Amino acid sequence: MSVFLSSLGFGLISAAVLAIATVGFTLQFAVTNVLNLAYGSVMINSAFVTYYLNVHAHLNAWVAMVGGIATGAVASYLLNRFVFTPFQRRNLLPITIVIVALGVDLCGTFGLQAIVGGSYFSYRQSLGRELHFWGMYFSTLQLTIIGICLVVMGLIHWLLKHTRLGKAMRATSANPSLARNSGVRTGHVISMTWLISGALCGLAGTVFAMNTGVFEATSAQLYIVLMLAAMFLGGPGEAYGAMLGALTIGVATELSAGFFNPQYKEVIAFVVLLAMLTFRPYGLFGSEKTI
Amino acid sequence: MSVELSTPGQVLRATGVSAGYDGRAIVQEIDVEATPGKVVSVVGPNGSGKSTLLKALVGVVPVLGGTVSVGGTEITNLPPERIAKLGVGYVPQIDDVFPPLSVKENLEIGGYLLARHDVAPRIEAVLEFFPRLKTMMTRKAGKLSGGERKMLAMGRVLMLSPSVLVLDEPTANLAPLVATQLLEEYIRGFADHGSTVLLVEQRAKAALRISDWTCVLSGGRVVLSGAPRDLENNPVFVESFLGGGAARH
Ligand SMILES: Nc1ncnc2c1ncn2[C@@H]1O[C@H](COP(=O)(O)OP(=O)(O)OP(=O)(O)O)[C@@H](O)[C@H]1O
Ligand SMILES: [Mg+2]
Repeated sequence: MSVFLSSLGFGLISAAVLAIATVGFTLQFAVTNVLNLAYGSVMINSAFVTYYLNVHAHLNAWVAMVGGIATGAVASYLLNRFVFTPFQRRNLLPITIVIVALGVDLCGTFGLQAIVGGSYFSYRQSLGRELHFWGMYFSTLQLTIIGICLVVMGLIHWLLKHTRLGKAMRATSANPSLARNSGVRTGHVISMTWLISGALCGLAGTVFAMNTGVFEATSAQLYIVLMLAAMFLGGPGEAYGAMLGALTIGVATELSAGFFNPQYKEVIAFVVLLAMLTFRPYGLFGSEKTI
Repeated sequence: MSVELSTPGQVLRATGVSAGYDGRAIVQEIDVEATPGKVVSVVGPNGSGKSTLLKALVGVVPVLGGTVSVGGTEITNLPPERIAKLGVGYVPQIDDVFPPLSVKENLEIGGYLLARHDVAPRIEAVLEFFPRLKTMMTRKAGKLSGGERKMLAMGRVLMLSPSVLVLDEPTANLAPLVATQLLEEYIRGFADHGSTVLLVEQRAKAALRISDWTCVLSGGRVVLSGAPRDLENNPVFVESFLGGGAARH
């Protein structure tokens, strides 16, 4: 029971990090049709920008995080502007973009490794007081991450359901041609989507690094597997599905890590993903793209 | 019926327009002119290029030759969002709504170019026009029936009070009575109010009844055009479209 509860606690924190990451990832896919497999490398690069601001520029880690968020936003915007869009314009097969993204991911990750080396890093940040309830242990840091996740999910909900931009994003996702016929400048909407989802990516990278405590250039390399699993679980392109998918995958992987072997996290996620693709190819909740 | 939803029109003119996909022309050297207060219809067999022609006019499909203008402004190959801004409203034949968005959100996107405080009153005005939609504002457009969906598609395009309406088979999937009402009251009504209407209609008879001018497209070319009265007396047209062997509907 105590293993179960402490694993559940870990699961909730992992789920919070994963939810932030997957919502950004799924928005990119829904609105811009790019399955951005380079997401993990943008995450870890953003985490390292936070690291330099925190450790070398002596900023508080939470303040430094703003730099990480900005890095994610700008890097994602530029990635779309100068890599994905030019390839998309050429009307190549959709798989081309996936392969291009994979290449970008490798360059991003190993380019970073070339700069920072193979050693381990951690933020200068205290975990805070340890809190204990219902048999689960959380540090203040972990609770803060969960809090950030809830706020971000609330903001995304508000964006998508109650703002002009959010509705235009959903319209662009559902029917880009009709959106343009209605006067929506979809190019602008797509740029905004990259900025917003990129900010989520930078935030996810930073809280991911905070949560693991010790990280290196390649730490986020397999994270894409968890994100894909969470996204497909919720239905590809569905923001709310991504939130629930992240919760499921986060908890499932940490529970399995508690009972079996932590090394098998990605394998467990992958098994869940395969089961999903077999039995509910559009996700647990969805039938089509419906952000 | 109130017809305050569309605005008095501008001339929509296509001159020698060729257009198609992947650089291959599907429609060739089309001349069409739709003028305020008139309904101009395009009829023709499946695959003759009717939809392609409309898409080229509203910027969805590239124009490969010729020019398109609205109100004297050339709009050839402008982005669709710019053409929308100039007052041209377009309802496509398929994919005419945003399925995951609610009815209300579909109308809001229709009014995307309006000032924020004008959106709600305009939705009210559109709902006066299509009262059926009032009871389903929170339903997802993808869950509407074919007829309700067409109403929403029409409602969406009316949000911007277009001066030129480009409609691709607005009566497809509608029950005969509803189709007749849509054509004879609403669409004819827009024109009577002074708007410009360019309409693709499968059912030639129904099209002739409300049109001031009709073009027959076949194999991507205008093979015949004229006032309904003249076409009704044209044996070739009658044979192919109105009740001869190959009659449709
Ligand atoms: N996206 C596309 N890419 C390539 N060819 C297309 C595309 N859309 C249509 N076509 C081709 O263009 C031709 C004309 O199609 P179009 O849709 O304009 O016909 P239509 O007159 O509207 O037919 P219908 O009465 O069935 O609606 C057809 O041969 C069709 O196969
Ligand atoms: Mg057609």
